[in-house]
Amino acid sequence: MARAGIAPFVGAIGEAWDELRVHKLRVLLSLIGVALAVGALTAVVAIGDLQRQFMAEMNDRWGGREATLTIAQYPNGNEPIDQDAWNAHVERVFERYDFSHTSRSAQTELLAGLPEGMTMVQARIVDPAFGTIHRVNIEHGRWFVPADTELMAPAVVISAPLWERLGSPSISTHPTVRIGGAWEGVYQVVGVTPKQGVWDQELRIDMLFDDFRAPMDALPTGFSMQHEVWLTAAQVGEIAPVLAQDLRAGLTEEFTVEVRRSDYGAQMGGDPMLVFTLITGAIAGIVLLLGGLGLVNIQLVAMRQRIREIGVRRSFGATGGRIFLAVMLENVVATLVAGAVGIIIVVVLMQQTFVVQGLAPGISDVPPFPFAAALTGLVAAVGVGAIAGLIPALVAVRVKPIDAIRF
Amino acid sequence: MTLLQLAGVARSVRLPDGANLDILTGIDLAVETGDHVSIVGRSGSGKTTLLNILGMLDEPTAGTVTFEGRDVRGLSARARDIARGRDIGFVFQQFNLLPGRTALEQVVMPLMYSHGATFWRRRELAAEMLERVGLAGRLDSKPEKLSGGEQQRVAIARALVRKPRLILADEPTGALDIDTGATVMALLDEVATESGAALITITHDLHVAARARRHYRLDGGILRPADLELAFAASTLAVDASAEAALGLSVADASPTPDGER
Repeated sequence: MARAGIAPFVGAIGEAWDELRVHKLRVLLSLIGVALAVGALTAVVAIGDLQRQFMAEMNDRWGGREATLTIAQYPNGNEPIDQDAWNAHVERVFERYDFSHTSRSAQTELLAGLPEGMTMVQARIVDPAFGTIHRVNIEHGRWFVPADTELMAPAVVISAPLWERLGSPSISTHPTVRIGGAWEGVYQVVGVTPKQGVWDQELRIDMLFDDFRAPMDALPTGFSMQHEVWLTAAQVGEIAPVLAQDLRAGLTEEFTVEVRRSDYGAQMGGDPMLVFTLITGAIAGIVLLLGGLGLVNIQLVAMRQRIREIGVRRSFGATGGRIFLAVMLENVVATLVAGAVGIIIVVVLMQQTFVVQGLAPGISDVPPFPFAAALTGLVAAVGVGAIAGLIPALVAVRVKPIDAIRF
Repeated sequence: MTLLQLAGVARSVRLPDGANLDILTGIDLAVETGDHVSIVGRSGSGKTTLLNILGMLDEPTAGTVTFEGRDVRGLSARARDIARGRDIGFVFQQFNLLPGRTALEQVVMPLMYSHGATFWRRRELAAEMLERVGLAGRLDSKPEKLSGGEQQRVAIARALVRKPRLILADEPTGALDIDTGATVMALLDEVATESGAALITITHDLHVAARARRHYRLDGGILRPADLELAFAASTLAVDASAEAALGLSVADASPTPDGER
């Protein structure tokens, strides 16, 4: 396009910007609502993403990452399960599949030496891969590694409330905790898991399965354990039935083998944040609409004040179309700026650790900022600006230059 | 060369009771390139209506207006707007500067509606024009920081920056004291002469009117050539009824007052 050809558009943009610059206060007041609404629209989507990730992680901590298969054996009659034999059977089957992440897991209770004496605490009996499968967060120190089974003092990971009861010792000082019962001995604390929230006061020890098993002749009757395998979502549909078949092979009818997906992806139907996103999005939409109405109102009042100016511009050659374009662009440019400000505020806020941790405590993988949502908010703002600018622009065009100059 | 010609121009408006009010009747006027014409008349004589027709801001109800030989009525509204911006410069009584804009931005404004090099060099051209009217040091001053005379000089720079063929000055000294008014008129004359533009001044002020080469008076919507000597005699003696009648003016009309034109 020739330089002369774009002059009217460049000129109209320049006029719009000048108008905004000259009437900063009016523009600022009229655009607060728009900035808030666009910010809210963007924030809703960003918070929705964050909450979705938070819920996924919370579920991962319980049921494992997508896609986790949980394998358990149940007796159909009164005959007890020989857990050692079952464990050996499962591990033989696993060897054929060459899985990258497998873990045994069980819940039990252990006696731990606290300052006030030996106290019963919760215990998770796991393998090192459990940390990856369940996205275990570590506040201090580290999670288990395979070499931990070789340590002279067996390793344990403890919960933050238990760590606090032990006097919050630095992990670098190699703190220990005494465990009683069959596991009598001193264990090295290699890591501390964070609290799930201020309410979390669970005293818990995570112990490696092999360390738990070692002092016993056999796993006790009634001890309940399960095996977990982490697969990709693409693999799981194909592998699960075959694996179940292999695990059941050679077992009597007196036992049931259950192979099921325990992860979040298998349990949740649809988007759990959809209702939240829709409701808050609708509220933000209403705010945007009200912001737009406020803008129309203020711009109409401003048009009354600017009649003489419009008349003067007309007398110096501004066509009706040019006046219309300038007034429209004023609104579009203004709402674009307001929308951008709203988005920038939300981007900055969503980068703050206190905001993220306040909205999703303990989240480990913060999702990226939803720029598509920001763009949607911006487009919505410009749309509102254009619609809000239409009425004042029509009013401006209808102004008769003769009357306007003498206004 | 005839720049602007009015032939048998009339303008009337319909009153709420259905009757017609004739504001202008049978106006004939020819303005040459570089001409300087003054039109005097008392309040309500139709001066502003005539100015609006001359400036293509209003259309006559009868007669023809031709600009550079083209009948204005044949132009679309958009074409008239563009022609007005390109060929006509306005100087208003109340200056009509845009609020909140600097002197430079005021003069840039008409250039925003131009094209090509004039558009892209608008700030440079506006600065040159402000320098021409003696305001080189006030480029960044806003209207409230300028005196009345300075504001009118900004308005003159704004009217002339696109090098119009015709300058229409509506009571250009109406809001200024006598000395400042004289200075501003001298400047307007000088710059208009320099650029070769025709200047039509509509005024109450006989001293302002006297600066023109041709003089007209508008009385009851009818335009006639005026004899300023008689008018001055009327304003000086204040008793010469025949002179008053000759120009349709009173002594009071001969001094600057805010306009209450139709």
